[in-house]
This record gives sequence, structure tokens and C-alpha cells, in this order.
Amino acid sequence: MKKNRALILPAVALGVVLIAIAIVYWVEPAKSLPSFFPGHDAHSTTHHLKHGIAAFLVGLAVLAFGWFQTGGAKPARK
Amino acid sequence: MILGSLISYPQAIVLGLLQGVSELFPVSSLGHSVILPRLLGWNIHQNDPYFLSFLVATHLATALVLLGFFRADWVRIVKGLGRSLRDREIAPDDTDARLAWLLIVGTIPAGILGLALEHKLRSVFASPRSASVFLILNGVMLYGAELLRRRAPVHEEGDPDVRIVKRVGWKEAIGVGTAQAVALIPGFSRSGASMGGGLLAGLSNEDAARFAFLLATPIIGAAAILKLPDLFGHTGDGVRWQALVAALCSAATAYLAVRFLMRFFETNRLTPFALYCFLAGLGCLLYFVS
Repeated sequence: MKKNRALILPAVALGVVLIAIAIVYWVEPAKSLPSFFPGHDAHSTTHHLKHGIAAFLVGLAVLAFGWFQTGGAKPARK
Repeated sequence: MILGSLISYPQAIVLGLLQGVSELFPVSSLGHSVILPRLLGWNIHQNDPYFLSFLVATHLATALVLLGFFRADWVRIVKGLGRSLRDREIAPDDTDARLAWLLIVGTIPAGILGLALEHKLRSVFASPRSASVFLILNGVMLYGAELLRRRAPVHEEGDPDVRIVKRVGWKEAIGVGTAQAVALIPGFSRSGASMGGGLLAGLSNEDAARFAFLLATPIIGAAAILKLPDLFGHTGDGVRWQALVAALCSAATAYLAVRFLMRFFETNRLTPFALYCFLAGLGCLLYFVS
């Protein structure tokens, strides 16, 4: 995989934001979500757990991508 | 309503046996669980909350069987994942690490699409008629994958994982993973879609089946674990013991199915399953419209 150090900061920032969004989905009912969030419903008290899981998984994947960009080139394993 | 009569024990046994086979055979377990109760005249519907809770147990059993069957592979894969995270790179010769990330990359789109669309698609297409139509289309999809395959169906020697990581790139893993989402529609098969995707990526039937089963394990397991609280909540009242019986039956047939399929695909193609889906779907459609 090609390494690009310039991508580390954006990846970490995006990953943290996505995980924060996941936590918001888990903690807040649909009516309390920001209006631009998918699943916002002014009259619903349900929690969008699945939206939170999806955001969390993508956040983890983005963080992992950022983590790989921090590695230095090493010789192939024997 | 008498809760104990929602699903009888004989029904649980039949549904469990069917689930174990149809989840792993490329013939759509969801489609069969929509069609069979209606064919047998059972008053069980795909969208009934208690039936969904009941199915959770059979899915969990199937996932555990897959995990157990490939346990040595999963140990290697998890170790490879750990190595890659520690070294902050996927070493070019580290097959296990690359396979681990291919599985993760393939699972993410399937997981997100499943979370987003599962309820909507199941609600819209849960009728036996539509399941029959999609079963026919599943047959066409399997046959199409065999026609469009990039590699002749020959038995190959050597480590299958080396062949998989050599032929499946990141784009192909995303494609195969995304293809699994078609199984959210009752009648389409998850394993069929991922095996077909594997063939298009250049895998043999044997390797495509192996990749499909490895890819299916976290998705089926996670979906079941996510819904497990339903089984222990009030929607599981009256079906919990039947679900346990079905899970045991499902585990038995899932084990036999994965064992059979791994041998079957050493020398055979998807064509018999394509033919079965086409004919069974057509027969059911004619029955339900008449």
C-alpha cells in the first residue's frame, strides 16, 4: 500500500468526527438529533442504534487507514 | 393468542434444518423462509416480530458453525491483522494480513447497506410471489456469473489463501462485499452473490466459496448478535425454546452444508444451484399466482 503522510491528519480528524457522530446517534433520540443528520425526526423518541454502528465502523476504518499511513517502509518479511 | 403455538416444535425443526442448508447453499435462505411456510400452509409470516426473533437463533448458529469450521484460518487471519496493525503496513508476503483486510474491506459496505436497507427491503419484498421472482433472478445471476467467469473451472493445488489475495484486490473485495447486500432481498442469495463476485474477480469455484464463507461469517454473526436482544425480549416470548431447537438443527445442517460445499466446489460449478433456483422459483411463482 502506498503511504501518504499528508493523509494522516485528515484521516484522524474524519475518524474522530465519525465516532463522535456514532456516539450522538447512540445517546440522543431521533427528535434531538441535529436536523441535518439522516434519521432526524422531530416527533420520534427512538434511538438510531444502527446509524450509530455504521458511523462507528466507518470511523474505525478511516482511523485504521490513517494508522497505516504513519508506518515507515520496511523490508519484506522472510 | 396462545404464545406457545406461534411456532410448533415440528415447524421449528423443519425451519432450522432448512435455514442451515439454505444460508450456505447459494439458494437464498430468506427466500426459502418466505416461500416454504406459505407452501406448507403455515400461518407464519416473514415480517412477524416473533419470527424475526426466532430466525436470530438460527443465524447465530450458522455463524458459529462457520467460525468453528474455519477456526484455524480465523486464528491465522486475526494474527495477520494484529501483525499489520503493529507494523503499520501489510507486508507484501503476509497473506494472512492481506486476507484479513480484504475481509474487512468487503464487510464494511455489506454491513452499512445491511444496516441501512434491511428493514425496508424485507418489508417491501416479503411476499412469496416476489420471493419466487427473485429466486428465478438468483438462478440467472448464478448462471451469469458462470458464463462471465474469468478463469476456467479447474482444481488448483497449493494454498487457497495465497491465490485469493493474489487475485482479489481492494476494488474486487469492495465489489464482492457490496454484492452480498443483494441478499437483503428475499430470493437472492448472499453466498451466491459473493461466490459469483469471486468468479468475476478471477477466483476458482473452490476459492470463491472459501472467500464467500469467510466473508459471510462476520456479517451473519454481527447481524444475529445485533438482534439477539429481540429473542430475549418480549418478541421472543413463546418462541424461545423453539428457537433453541431450530438453532441446533440449523447448526447440524450448516456444518454438513459447508463440508459438502467445500468439496463440491473443488470440481463443480454454480450451475446446478442456478438451475434449482430458476426451476423452484418458476414453480413457486406459478403456484402462487394460480
